[in-house]
Amino acid sequence: MDELLAVVGYKVRSSDMAEVAQKLEQLEEAMGNARDGISQLSNDTVHFNPADISNWLETMINNLDRAFEDSSSSDYDLKAIAGKAIYTTAARVKPSPAESSSSTRPLVLVDSQENGIRLVHTLMACAEAVHQNNLSLAEALVKQIGFLAVSQVGAMRKVATYFAEALARRIYGLYPENPIHHSFSDMLQIHFYETCPYLKFAHFTANQAILEAFQGKNRVHVIDFSMNQGMQWPALMQALALRPGGPPAFRLTGIGPPAADNSDHLQEVGWKLAQLAETIHVEFEYRGFVANSLADLDASMLELRPSETEAVAVNSVFELHKLLARPGAVEKVLSVVRQIRPEIVTVVEQEANHNGPGFLDRFTESLHYYSTMFDSLEGSVNSQDKVMSEVYLGKQICNVVACEGVDRVERHETLGQWRTRFGSAGFTPVHLGSNAFKQASMLLALFAGGDGYRVEENNGCLMLGWHTRPLIATSAWQLATKSVVAH
Amino acid sequence: MAGSNEVNLNESRSVVPLNTWVLISNFKLAYNLLRRADGTFNRELAEFLDRKVPSNSIPVHGVWSFDHIDQRTPGLFYRLYLQDSHQRRCAGATVIPDMDKPLSTTDIVPVIIFFHGGSFSHSSANSAIYDTFCRRLVNVSNSVVVSVNYRRSPEHRFPCAYEDGWTALEWVRSRKWLRSGRSESESESKVYVYMAGDSSGGNIVHHVAVRAAEEGIEVLGNILLHPLFGGEKRTESEIRLDGKYFVKLQDRDWYWRAFLPEGEDRDHPACNPFGPRGRSLKGLSSFPKTLVCVAGLDLLQDWQLAYANSLRSFSHHVNLLYLKDATIGFYFLPNNDHFSSLMDQINNFVNPNC
Repeated sequence: MDELLAVVGYKVRSSDMAEVAQKLEQLEEAMGNARDGISQLSNDTVHFNPADISNWLETMINNLDRAFEDSSSSDYDLKAIAGKAIYTTAARVKPSPAESSSSTRPLVLVDSQENGIRLVHTLMACAEAVHQNNLSLAEALVKQIGFLAVSQVGAMRKVATYFAEALARRIYGLYPENPIHHSFSDMLQIHFYETCPYLKFAHFTANQAILEAFQGKNRVHVIDFSMNQGMQWPALMQALALRPGGPPAFRLTGIGPPAADNSDHLQEVGWKLAQLAETIHVEFEYRGFVANSLADLDASMLELRPSETEAVAVNSVFELHKLLARPGAVEKVLSVVRQIRPEIVTVVEQEANHNGPGFLDRFTESLHYYSTMFDSLEGSVNSQDKVMSEVYLGKQICNVVACEGVDRVERHETLGQWRTRFGSAGFTPVHLGSNAFKQASMLLALFAGGDGYRVEENNGCLMLGWHTRPLIATSAWQLATKSVVAH
Repeated sequence: MAGSNEVNLNESRSVVPLNTWVLISNFKLAYNLLRRADGTFNRELAEFLDRKVPSNSIPVHGVWSFDHIDQRTPGLFYRLYLQDSHQRRCAGATVIPDMDKPLSTTDIVPVIIFFHGGSFSHSSANSAIYDTFCRRLVNVSNSVVVSVNYRRSPEHRFPCAYEDGWTALEWVRSRKWLRSGRSESESESKVYVYMAGDSSGGNIVHHVAVRAAEEGIEVLGNILLHPLFGGEKRTESEIRLDGKYFVKLQDRDWYWRAFLPEGEDRDHPACNPFGPRGRSLKGLSSFPKTLVCVAGLDLLQDWQLAYANSLRSFSHHVNLLYLKDATIGFYFLPNNDHFSSLMDQINNFVNPNC
């Protein structure tokens, strides 16, 4: 890889440089010759992974070649499938083996936080004291944080309070004993969904990739590792219903942990979706699956049907990182996913490394991350939703800071780290393109409560962040043996 | 037609390293897709294509960064780059800024407010090419760099970018923790402010500096890296070099139409500060010294050289660095002599006593 280009965001092998230069010249000439060439490449073409210059150019050259044959328009409709998908061939550029972002720790401050910096220093000093087992110093600092926090406003005060509480738990050994009742955390998640666009973005971008993977299939099956209240699926079902040529038969398998009150909440969710399916005339089948951990699943339990008759998508939103609490669990789940032989696997995860071995680095990383998260909530209109969202995030903070071992389930890792895992497990990337990017940006523009949200493209994946700090990342994957060029 | 294109492409290939040629040609291609004939700009595709990087509070090659968001102006933020020594180091790899202390109580640390290029329409302070450039700038000059994410055209025309530049200048000057130098009392220490910019960034530097001089605000020096100036008249270099080294004159015209108020022409003083509608800076004694870097293969060089001459005629101090075989964008990759010449000049410019 040419190092100088890599540093400025482009992946070109030194040995390919002359060929890439030739493609640039070739494309420039083709653009000059094609009628409306520029307009077509700008408006109609779906672009993928601009970091891979060679493939990006190749796509455009091919698009211009087909200019006169293919005049299908692609009006972007937030609900429907947008245009045609072009999968790049299995990446000529292999993902670099040690690609992890453990050396990147973004820091974003807003005006009010310059005063809050002292608070951050004290939090850090306290974490350091905890790390060195100097508990009397840590205790004194935690109390000081309490005093300092009161004089702050907005996000800084709340974040400091949650982190101080988590530190206190660690100091006094008051680890949270009872796991959160799932129905309570579901309810918190619903408020989080309403308050800020992260979950909406996650669902939207995952659904976009699933829709494109399901093109031309008549029977489709989604296996959702993150069923919760099923909030992701109405939009997908509606998009399928509007598909030109009619909807496919839609099967959904929803997986979730047992409910505290032993109610069959997964079935209830399924029932509501069935009612929706009926009103929009989509043939619908549903199965709810209770499992304490995704690692308890085997492919044989899922009643898979032959892949010629049914196309499968596996979806996971903020679930996979929990598996990292037990050795071998994520590897097992990924191997089960391989056995499922899905068309696509959609994954959304927090964009942060909260799973490092050192407590202090974990603390700092999560402090920066949740500060930015809380900042982004400040503009929310509905105060009840906002409070619930803060509680939802506060529980994550507590888990990251105060828990260890199998109890510490909020083991977020970065996109770079997940890329390595998926690569090792036998998957290759399915790139999300400029159409999904544009639609996600439009969705954000509609969302009230803060114009600091930004969508970023990262080597075929999409990330949503607050100002300059990416906070969640959506990626999509297929089995390594499968590389499709769809027309 | 095809023949003359080939000649042009080969010419630019022979004067820059291959990877530089690929980088700049790739930008040229992307930019061609983004400008629409009706004057609008495909902003979503622009943001999709732009390679961005987050800030990083873990030092890399001795430089760490963080972002400061100005919540009153949508999209305006500053990315600050500092060296390891300018920090409050915490255990572990990370740095948290210490806003209670100045940068130094013994040495002078120049603070360079940087405005990225992109013809007023492209790029951001967190674009990878500019993040990388600013990091190199910090190490070369032992300075603090504050890169400004100003509002861009055509969505935000003149004078938005200049207003954001002014906001940035005021913000930087008022940060106690950006002060440096030996001083007897706090009231004597100050922020040692310079301004720098490439292309449209250079243009912004000029206009902010004029306002600063008029209002008695001290800026110690301007660094203009092939700055964007122009006018209605077509100069000899524009005609001679049109389309030869990555840049076409008609594209330059597009960007001015997108930036200037609607209906205005290129003799508007924003574009042509010393032209028929411009003004003399004679007597504006606190206007800073200027370093102007001109690339010898840039079609705008006649305007840039005229700019330098005008400043001299107004009795202002000008260093001119003319790089005969350089194209635009030569400083994005440090793989050529022009890059080192430029960095040397900048270092001497902001550290005059070293």
